[in-house]
Parts: sequence; C-alpha cells; structure tokens
Amino acid sequence: MNRPVGIVLVSHSRGLAAGLGELLAQIGSGEVPVVAAGGTTDGGIGTSYDVIANAIAQADHGNGVVVLPDLGSAVLTTRTVLDDHPRPDVALVDAPFVEGAVAAAVTAASGGDLQAIVTAAKEARDVPKF
Amino acid sequence: MSPSSSAQASVVLPAHLHARPAGKLAQSAARFTATIHIGHNGRTVNPTGVLALMSLGATAGTTVTITADGPDAQAAVDTLAEILTTAE
Repeated sequence: MNRPVGIVLVSHSRGLAAGLGELLAQIGSGEVPVVAAGGTTDGGIGTSYDVIANAIAQADHGNGVVVLPDLGSAVLTTRTVLDDHPRPDVALVDAPFVEGAVAAAVTAASGGDLQAIVTAAKEARDVPKF
Repeated sequence: MSPSSSAQASVVLPAHLHARPAGKLAQSAARFTATIHIGHNGRTVNPTGVLALMSLGATAGTTVTITADGPDAQAAVDTLAEILTTAE
C-alpha cells in the first residue's frame, strides 16, 4: 500500500491542535502522519509561519499533505507558507476543523489519495452531527 | 462466488456506535467493492462515511442492519458485522 497522505492541523491553540491529533489517533489514524501546528513558537495563542512550515515538512511522506485550519489567521498564515513554497500536492482545505479532520484521517488511513481526502473533509460540512 | 450477490445481516449493538467503532467500520468498508449500507431506525448511510455513521446515533442495545450488493457482499457484511458485535 502507498504511504498515506499526511494531515496538518493548524490552530491558534497548541492544546487544541494537539488534542485533535489525540482524538484522530483514537478513531484510527493509524499510520497516517498527523502533525499538530498549534499556537505560536513560544506556545502562545496565535499562528506561526515556522510552526506550520515545519509541520507540513514533517507530515509529508511523499504522497502529499492536507492542511486543515481552524479559523482566520490559520488560513492566512498557511496561505503565506504555501505562497512561498508552492506545491501541487499540498492542499489547504475549507472544512469544519474537528469533523473535517476526522473524515480526512479515516480516509487517509483507508489509503485514499489527496483528492479523496480533500473531498471527504469538505463533505464534513454537510453531514449533520446528529 | 457469483459475480454479483447480495448479503444482509442484523446486529444488536453491544456498545454505542461512537467515534472509535465508526472509524474502524469506515476504514474496513472502504476495502470492499460491494455497495454497502448500514441502516438504523429508518435511516440508511454509506458506512465509508465515518461522520454519517456517527450521525445515526445508534445506541447500545439497538439493532443495525448491514446490506451489501456486489461480488464481495458476503465478506463485507461478515466483516462489518464482526466489527459491530465486538465494539466496546
């Protein structure tokens, strides 16, 4: 089986991103490289160019990376990183943070390719919680 | 095995169909070529969707029905039923 697509969780909070990563591991992200990119370099609330760039590099095992932002500057800072390092196999996805990450992780763990994972994460917006 | 077959099973859930078993089901369901559906309380979802599975809100003690159509339908139903009956 191909090496799975990586997932980067970009949040303003280090704890939020790390906690979501723990949840994904419980649901079965398995061999999927999930990397949390939360907070500033000193652990404060905010987003960091360097934290995000390093996380993308760490999550990249050769088959691409899906980046899920929580809000606002998580999107803007990730865009700046991707503008500086444009790559066709790194996708910033507009999806609900928790549900999108769960859908992405399960799809990646099942061997889905980059496009399948992007689609699964986006679909999370249309699936009711209950 | 015939080129096209269908299979069905019902499982009384020993535990809620929450995030962990839903994740297992979705990953397993993606490995079959058969078209699979899981039904609960009048609603039916495609089990490759982990969020859709969780949205069923299926609780312990209730029954879910697995149906599959396709060459590996029986294997799909058996595998998913096993995951559901051993869910914790």
